[in-house]
Amino acid sequence: MAPHISGETIRRWIPLLVLLGLVLFFTTLNPHFLSVRNFARIAISATPALMVAVGVTFVILMGSIDLSMEGTIAVAAVVFALILNRLGGSVMGMGCLAIPGALAAGAALGAINGLIHVKLKIPSFMASLSLGFVGVGLALLITGGDRILIADPVFRSLLTVRLGGFPLMTYVALFCLVVAWFIQANTTTGRNFYAIGGGEELARGSGLNVGRLRIIAFVIAGIFYALGAILAVARLGIAETETGRNFMFISITSVVVGGTALAGGSGGVWNTLIGVLIVNVIGNGMVVIGLPDYFQDGMLGLLVISAVYLSMDRRAFSFVK
Amino acid sequence: MSFIKNHIAQQTLNRRKMLLLSAYGLCGAAFGASVRPGRAAPAPRDIKVAWSYRDRTNPYWNGIVSGGEAFVESLGWSRGDMINLINGGSSEKSLSDVKSLLSRYGNKTALAIDPNDMPNCRPVVEAVSQTGAYVSTIWNKTDDLHPWDFGDNYVSHMTWSDVQPSEQTARVLFDAMGGKGGVVHLGGIASNNPAIERLKGLKNALKAYPNIELLAVQAADWDTQKANQVMSGFLTRYGDAIKGVHCASDTMAYGVIEALLAEGAGNIPVVSYDGNPQAVQMVTQGKLLATVFTNPHWAGGITASLAYHAAIGSFRPSQEPREHREFYGPATVVTTSDAKDFKAKYIDSNPQYNWNDFWSLAKGPIKYDT
Repeated sequence: MAPHISGETIRRWIPLLVLLGLVLFFTTLNPHFLSVRNFARIAISATPALMVAVGVTFVILMGSIDLSMEGTIAVAAVVFALILNRLGGSVMGMGCLAIPGALAAGAALGAINGLIHVKLKIPSFMASLSLGFVGVGLALLITGGDRILIADPVFRSLLTVRLGGFPLMTYVALFCLVVAWFIQANTTTGRNFYAIGGGEELARGSGLNVGRLRIIAFVIAGIFYALGAILAVARLGIAETETGRNFMFISITSVVVGGTALAGGSGGVWNTLIGVLIVNVIGNGMVVIGLPDYFQDGMLGLLVISAVYLSMDRRAFSFVK
Repeated sequence: MSFIKNHIAQQTLNRRKMLLLSAYGLCGAAFGASVRPGRAAPAPRDIKVAWSYRDRTNPYWNGIVSGGEAFVESLGWSRGDMINLINGGSSEKSLSDVKSLLSRYGNKTALAIDPNDMPNCRPVVEAVSQTGAYVSTIWNKTDDLHPWDFGDNYVSHMTWSDVQPSEQTARVLFDAMGGKGGVVHLGGIASNNPAIERLKGLKNALKAYPNIELLAVQAADWDTQKANQVMSGFLTRYGDAIKGVHCASDTMAYGVIEALLAEGAGNIPVVSYDGNPQAVQMVTQGKLLATVFTNPHWAGGITASLAYHAAIGSFRPSQEPREHREFYGPATVVTTSDAKDFKAKYIDSNPQYNWNDFWSLAKGPIKYDT
């Protein structure tokens, strides 16, 4: 029997094909691109963004949106650095409490975000955008505008120690990705996110507590933003109000480019992995091939549009809003 | 957590001031227009000193503010007596803040300001001079706008020429590279004047070093994370050909140094600009080869002082020579050999400046390329 490859199957793999195509494209123009060392560089820049994008994936799967990541990351990063430095400055001692501390800060902000959205019935777009500003303000209040340096060699080994050519932070991120995949595929909560995204009325009619699930999704997202914050601090050794800068654009773009529908109900964390890699390969590749910097932003925009165009099934939409 | 409490108390106070300002706004504007203030200088205590600037997330502006506060404390006032107007990078907000301030305090205002961008300087200066108040500006001003065209009210303008210091850091870098090899430059937002001048300084230095090759120039928008990614890209593209890095700011150098550290290439020399406390610290440790200190503390204090003393009539700006109205601010190259002394003197503490000695650190009149 001849294998039947449906249009749907091809479309599911298109983001991956786009990624391979880009790698091929940049390699043709500069063979240095295709090297373990360069892939490690791409991985370093992609890991914090991957955590953030995975977090927002859960929210987008429900058809909502979360734009609070820049504020949440700033707060989580600053809380992490403050606790670490106050409790001895090393993650090997009491300083390890900084990790649950930062995750708790992320979860708390996520919970507030979800509660505002669900209980006050404010659209997630506005609620989360506003809360993002609150987060940035809060981080500024805590730091007074200063940068906090992290010198702990054990914590910095996430960046400096390599295994198979890739720094440890890459493996940490992959582990968290697997956890996210487990939540998505093997828990009732995870599957219910799809149900809400696929049709909220139907989900409600089937007896799901949609409000509660929405809040849970925002909490999970907040925890992943905090993970992203910790990895971002590991990458630069600096925690500051600006730590969250640009993550909103990169994470939302990655989710969409990876093929997760903004309308909700389809896609997932593996799509997000591919999306994050596409965005970071483009960013790295443009420098590697020596594209003049005044072209780079425009080119990034065009490539993102192309990637989204290729990876979405437009016949499924009667109209686009 | 007392610092948070203090901060909230201070911010509440500022917010209350701003609310009052807005409330007084309309009546004040009408009043100001009908009763044209006279020339008599008000008693010193009546004068309100305000600083308008971009934000508090940047060590540079924090330095400016600390200088402004040191100046008001030298008058026997408390820090909180200096009014902070934070524009967050918006020229519209900058101008509307200034107008509210003028409606509230009229000709008793002494304003120090970075107008955020060059076109915004004129409306700010015109609003101040129509009210009979006094303003000193830094950084942003169009070339056709001059303090002497506004009598006494536009007291002074200070800016910094970055070409020469940037050229000096480039020379320090090239010498450390042994006068040969490839260098990459990470620049600020391409249209920003400091970004243009700092690149120009590098190019000037290149003329004297024929064996140094400028491999690439790329804007990283003053941003640590972007600089980190750009540097990674450079490492892939040029690999071992990179023998030195010239950065247009400290914030970008932090990202570059981390990118090099991740590759075990921490021995590649890096120079930067701005002289932020952490950068100076890195120079003492040898992680950074050189940076340029522009003394924001002094700039913040002296700019406020100039506006204040013009307002109380200590001196008549219109009787001062032009190089006292428009001048360059100080810039000091900090290298590994002097970083320790420098840090002790300027970073760990601030020297006691005489805020009445207005032009002690000025570096001559501003020159225009026309």
